[in-house]
Amino acid sequence: MPVVVLAGTKKGLFLLRSDELRQGWTLDGPHLVGWSVYHAILDPRDGVLHACTNHEVYGATVHRSRDLGKTWEHAENLGLPDDSKLKLERTWHVEPGHADQPGRLWLGAAPGVLFRSNDGGATWQTIEGLLAHPTRERWFPGAGGMCCHSIQLDPADANHLHVGISAAGVFRTHDGGEQWTPVNSGTAADFLPDPYPEVGQCVHKLLRCAESSRLWQQNHCGVYRSDDGGDSWQRLDGNGLPSGFGFALALHPRDADTAFVVPIEGAENRVTSGGRLGVYRTSDAGASWDLSMEGLPEHAWTGVLREGMAFDALDPFGLYLGAQSGSVFASADEGQTWTEIASQLPPVLSVEVGAWS
Amino acid sequence: MVVVVLPPILAAEAGGQSRFEVEASTVQEALGALPVVDRLFDEHASLRSLVNVYVDGVDLRERGGLSAKLSGTETIRLVGAIAGG
Repeated sequence: MPVVVLAGTKKGLFLLRSDELRQGWTLDGPHLVGWSVYHAILDPRDGVLHACTNHEVYGATVHRSRDLGKTWEHAENLGLPDDSKLKLERTWHVEPGHADQPGRLWLGAAPGVLFRSNDGGATWQTIEGLLAHPTRERWFPGAGGMCCHSIQLDPADANHLHVGISAAGVFRTHDGGEQWTPVNSGTAADFLPDPYPEVGQCVHKLLRCAESSRLWQQNHCGVYRSDDGGDSWQRLDGNGLPSGFGFALALHPRDADTAFVVPIEGAENRVTSGGRLGVYRTSDAGASWDLSMEGLPEHAWTGVLREGMAFDALDPFGLYLGAQSGSVFASADEGQTWTEIASQLPPVLSVEVGAWS
Repeated sequence: MVVVVLPPILAAEAGGQSRFEVEASTVQEALGALPVVDRLFDEHASLRSLVNVYVDGVDLRERGGLSAKLSGTETIRLVGAIAGG
């Protein structure tokens, strides 16, 4: 199966292609010249590329390409309703809908908003239940804005979703987005007067295991796991991690006990922990963590952002890492060894992986 | 006809076309006739703050804003403000 890594950068999208061995890579790009690509996907359902694109002057939108990047078009009139008195600030994450809902996509954006498309990304509708959530007045943007950056679907139930919003927390719906319940019990917000509030937690990345209902999150205040759909969270960063602060998170495609994080020094010094680029792996559901850095630079004061790590579903599965230094690293052996597959790109904002055909 | 000239990044959004001829009696109408109007105006119909508009070389702010009248022979240039990195 040909593999493509989509590296979204501050100045355009780059595509890195390889075969299933993932040893040699070719670089294609930049696409979407001049746009900051916060996240991009290759929709496995129809092969369409979608990219969250932002520009200092020309605003936030979503581009899509039906011909693997040869031509692009942007969404029609993407924005927030007048009565919200809010403006769309940035688009952050695009997620394909269920396989049995062709044309459906989800889009997370700032300020803490979610959109749904039923026509393959041509038009988008605001999810009112989140836009007008009764706790919104208690959400306060952090350094990255109030971004809805994580959208996790239940593969067994198209109406069951979790979203993660920076400085707001994790929210869950069972009715396709009409009603949202905050599910942040046990996650800390130590920058607030009440360190365990109902909302206001700064989740940095939220992922759901592919073959179980387990949730993982890298938070501003630690790494967490939930085995009950978010009703309760267990903190996991005491045993082996140099820092609980970080952004990137990746999972094993088949083993719910295995996860990967890239610790950052802390909120006030956002560089890779210990002056090195290291990926930490747990294989026991967060009870312990081990450093993997063979092939990664030993001296590195860079950053790996919330969309900066991805994984494929091959066997052995691959991991991909994009750094603000402009490098992309790949591991074809489940994170044991790494190879730099691109360098001197603009600062990498996101990596994603898909099957190229 | 009023001529509108787009910067390269917007020309790419318009299918590679950088020069448009439009019929318009105001600057608002001229910009509204472009296929990239949603990149110039936000969802509340406000001109994005870093989009600069020059009519025959004169800043739109000095010509009365978007409602400024056009005779039909002007050239409008759109320029992104120097911002960001």
